[in-house]
Amino acid sequence: MSDHAPQTEQPHSENTPTTTHFGFKQVETQQKVALVKEVFQSVAAKYDIMNDLMSLGIHRLWKRYTIDCSGVRSGHKVLDLAGGTGDLSARFSRIVGESGKVILADINEAMLKVGRDKLRDLGIVSNVDYVQANAEELPFPDNTFDVITIAFGLRNVTDKDKALASMFRVLKPGGRLLVLEFSKPSNELLSKTYDLYSFHLLPKIGQLVANDADSYQYLAESIRMHPPQEELKAMMEHAGFEQTTYQNLTGGIVALHRGYKF
Amino acid sequence: MAQFLSANVERLLNHVIGLDPDSQARLKKLQGKSLQVRLRELPWPILLQFSQRIDLSIVEQPDDLVKASCMLELNIETLQQLRDSSKLTQLIQEQKLILVGDMYVAQSVSSLFQELHIDWEEELSQYVGDALAHQTFVGARSALHEAKTQIEAGRSKLSAQLLRADGLAVGATELAHFSDEVDQLRSASERLSARLLRLEMAAKVGH
Repeated sequence: MSDHAPQTEQPHSENTPTTTHFGFKQVETQQKVALVKEVFQSVAAKYDIMNDLMSLGIHRLWKRYTIDCSGVRSGHKVLDLAGGTGDLSARFSRIVGESGKVILADINEAMLKVGRDKLRDLGIVSNVDYVQANAEELPFPDNTFDVITIAFGLRNVTDKDKALASMFRVLKPGGRLLVLEFSKPSNELLSKTYDLYSFHLLPKIGQLVANDADSYQYLAESIRMHPPQEELKAMMEHAGFEQTTYQNLTGGIVALHRGYKF
Repeated sequence: MAQFLSANVERLLNHVIGLDPDSQARLKKLQGKSLQVRLRELPWPILLQFSQRIDLSIVEQPDDLVKASCMLELNIETLQQLRDSSKLTQLIQEQKLILVGDMYVAQSVSSLFQELHIDWEEELSQYVGDALAHQTFVGARSALHEAKTQIEAGRSKLSAQLLRADGLAVGATELAHFSDEVDQLRSASERLSARLLRLEMAAKVGH
């Protein structure tokens, strides 16, 4: 399944060549932001229904598990980064209550609008703020949030190291980061079946439901280009996170990484 | 699997609560509160967080455990007894329940479900229309009443058959009369026994 909030791709430093991957293609770094934006502008309206179709609804259980692992409680301040259509924010909003705050942030305006409309339709208005933000340069003061989640968003970020560093900065000491993202299936047979599904069936579903096979082809490719479990864990540790762990969900199709700032 | 289960239980709880318009007022008293339930038969605690609805979480790792307003530890059998919030103290004294934190939260949760009043006829009418829902419920009540009447009549008929026609059983008066006769017989046999004893003793003295 897809998800949200794109940002830019992985340059690393000023000396690095200015190309990066966009799915399996190499593109100019500056171009990727626009390309990813295009993908999410295209899928925003049918994003929820596509997620349900593509994952048979399992994405809801992955997100639910993420929230169960968040330790969020009444009064907390939560950043739902790349929050897309607000699945996590809706639940966080109820849990943190009036004394807490949820910031739904996404770089993509169309996704943010869908999320805002959806939450308002659910009657969630008072404790959720909407911020269009790039994960690499979060527009918040240091040590602001008790919990940060980024669900199916990190793989679309151009410079993941920079984004993780930015998240570390805005997290309060004692706070935790949860990264829910597609990963590498641990079983070879499952991996092959999953490849078959995502490269052959997924674009067809995208074509049928959203009339957009290309966007879903990109989403499948971007999943393969995302760092596998151990590599992402190392990246989080490099950014400063401690007690970093991950749990494979559904055989490693998805992994939930967590790390703390102390 | 745990999340699948908790999602469905949560959906069910909220649906049931939503069927009673008055439950929102009771739920409001719990807003911002949380209740952690540790069922001894389950590996993980369950966390209920209250807002305008109930959010249910299964907490698999101790690090993720939120400090709840109230914590209950009990077994599933005792869970049923929590329906009566006045029994909380008794259950604690009997060591069937461990309660830590705000007892008011546990009592409020208990009464939230205990005081549910659901108008099933109204609920059915949303699917089949007022007339059919009303007719269905009138029919159901009538059938229930008829069934009770039939059962009662059947019981009386059977009783009469056994007592009078077949003579397989005795009536209350006959039973009392029989008991009196048995008592009289017992008294007579006791008197006879005492007389025989006296005669035996007299015979021994004569020798």
